[in-house]
Amino acid sequence: MGEGETLELLELRGISKEYKTGRSAVKALSEIDLTVKRGEFVSIMGPSGSGKSTLLNVIGCLDRPTAGEYSLDGMKVERLSDDRLSEIRNKYIGFVFQSFHLLQGLDALGNVELPLIYRGMGAAERRKRAKEALEAVGLLDRVHHRPSELSGGEQQRVAIARALAQEPLLILADEPTGSLDSRTGRTIMELFQKLNAERGITVVMVTHDGEMARYGKRIVRLLDGRIEREEIL
Amino acid sequence: MKILNSWRSFWVRFLFAAQMAWQGVAINPLRAGLTILGVAIGVASVVSLMGIGEGARIAVVRQFESLGSNVIVIKAHDAKAEFEPEEAEELLERVSGLKYASPVVRTNAVLRWRRARGQVEVLGVSSDFPELRDHKLASGRFFTKWHVEQRSPVAVVGYNIGAGLLGGRSPVGHTFTLNGQTYRIVGVLERKGSGQAEGIDDKVVVPYTTALKIAGRRTVDELWVKAESPKAAELAIAQLGRIYRRKLGLDVTAPKAGGGGQQMPGEEGKANPEGTSPPIPRPPAQEGQGQGEKPALELGKDIITITNLNTLVEEADKANRIMTLLLGGIAAVSLLVGGLGIMNIMLVAVTERTGEIGVRRALGAKKFDLLLQFLMEAFYLSGIGAALGTLLGMWGVNVFNNYGFSAVVSMDAVKVAVFVALGCGLLFGVYPAWTAASVPPVEALRR
Repeated sequence: MGEGETLELLELRGISKEYKTGRSAVKALSEIDLTVKRGEFVSIMGPSGSGKSTLLNVIGCLDRPTAGEYSLDGMKVERLSDDRLSEIRNKYIGFVFQSFHLLQGLDALGNVELPLIYRGMGAAERRKRAKEALEAVGLLDRVHHRPSELSGGEQQRVAIARALAQEPLLILADEPTGSLDSRTGRTIMELFQKLNAERGITVVMVTHDGEMARYGKRIVRLLDGRIEREEIL
Repeated sequence: MKILNSWRSFWVRFLFAAQMAWQGVAINPLRAGLTILGVAIGVASVVSLMGIGEGARIAVVRQFESLGSNVIVIKAHDAKAEFEPEEAEELLERVSGLKYASPVVRTNAVLRWRRARGQVEVLGVSSDFPELRDHKLASGRFFTKWHVEQRSPVAVVGYNIGAGLLGGRSPVGHTFTLNGQTYRIVGVLERKGSGQAEGIDDKVVVPYTTALKIAGRRTVDELWVKAESPKAAELAIAQLGRIYRRKLGLDVTAPKAGGGGQQMPGEEGKANPEGTSPPIPRPPAQEGQGQGEKPALELGKDIITITNLNTLVEEADKANRIMTLLLGGIAAVSLLVGGLGIMNIMLVAVTERTGEIGVRRALGAKKFDLLLQFLMEAFYLSGIGAALGTLLGMWGVNVFNNYGFSAVVSMDAVKVAVFVALGCGLLFGVYPAWTAASVPPVEALRR
């Protein structure tokens, strides 16, 4: 995947995002410049309404910016079709959400297999990969449990396994510990740290929790849709 | 190799969409069940109502066909236009393509068998009758030309009479009396079924010469002829029209009132099997009066009708087909309502599962994947509904038959209903599925 070709995995130049509500337009992001290198662990912090989730959606190719340029691994994202964006999310990006977003109708294994199915991978291979991913998050004994039969921490670990199975370049986490108690939250953060250190997966995480943000190597603070300041830890 | 891979990839996604679609159906069994029931009722009503129509059509066609094929009925509706019995034989010589002919005498007589007596309908015909009306004999034989010429007191009885006389044993060779005169039974006709072939099963058939004697008449008001083929029947109709116009003193070459021309007789008499239909000849009064033998023919009244029974069958067939279609069309409305039910449920499903749609999109599902999934869900609902409806419809046909209808399960109706149901499922599934596929991933995830 062109590793070593460019050091920058994400390059955002003058990214703006406006939402039209009736006559007035709300600017959620205004002229964000941000570069994330391969293997970084970046925490994005800011009060609610500061645009951090919008930024994450843009980075995750779930939303298109109204202005600016964004390249992911050298690809100019704004020029790509809807289908191509689906493929990019599928191949490069693993999502971890605050409310886990697991499908209730599928067991842990099925949920982890989901992105591989949309890749069109054969059953045997994807089962093997999904099991490996569940093993990496320590849930091999919960393979056939449904989300409703798992605790919050376990559900979030299934979600991380789902991202892992994709073998992504980038994991995007939106308040991953927001629904968990602080002790479980810490184990999740340690897991991210481990994946970042051992597998070299780039992690970009949105949080408003200062303690959790500190697991990253860099903190980007947003305020009113602008980058207020950056800290390198 | 690449093509193979992309095909395999499509197959994986297709199977998964099918599986997910099934989950979508199964997750809410009551709702899915009601929707399926809606479609099933639609399909069932199409199948059973069209079954009634088709059954009626077959029954009517069979009834007409029991009258014999390629038969032309010539009927006089005015005493002055009646025929000499010998005219039937003459027609065989004058009109090409005719094979059999018979004058017809209808009368009643008191039948006396041993100590029992009762009124029966007597049919007087020539010895051509079995061939003419496609009758077979259950036992004995039909009377011959010789019997006709001799005015012999011989009779062939319909199946029911034949079976009734000796409790099932053949009465051939025995005698009964009609209006006091003794007749020998020479044959029994095969069974045609109730209401078929003008109720021949309950009639007594005798030579027309003998029947004229019973009726106390010398002329007949009805002639039957049989042509070699449907084509010959059509040609014969035209020829017969000319013959009878001339006989009644009408100018053959002049254009006819009623606009029928030479072909007119062939086109008429379609309205009912008895052939009371628009007239062939409407003679000018003064001409008719000058003609001596058959003068005072009334103007504007049917005098002679010539009816090709083949066309009657076709007409009845057509009319019944239209009725079948009409019934099917009415039933199709309920099928449409069933289809709308699918659309309704699918729209609800899409709204409910917007979050799930967002997750799938985030993980790399393309619009096509979601389109496929929701379309297949609609397809399941309509498919199960169609299958269930077909069974229900067959059962309905059975029930109708128990209540005296002669409904049949018409494969055409089943095909149409299933096809329309599946079509409805797709048609009404497309919009919700497209809605699902088009939700922007961010908005879907926000729910």
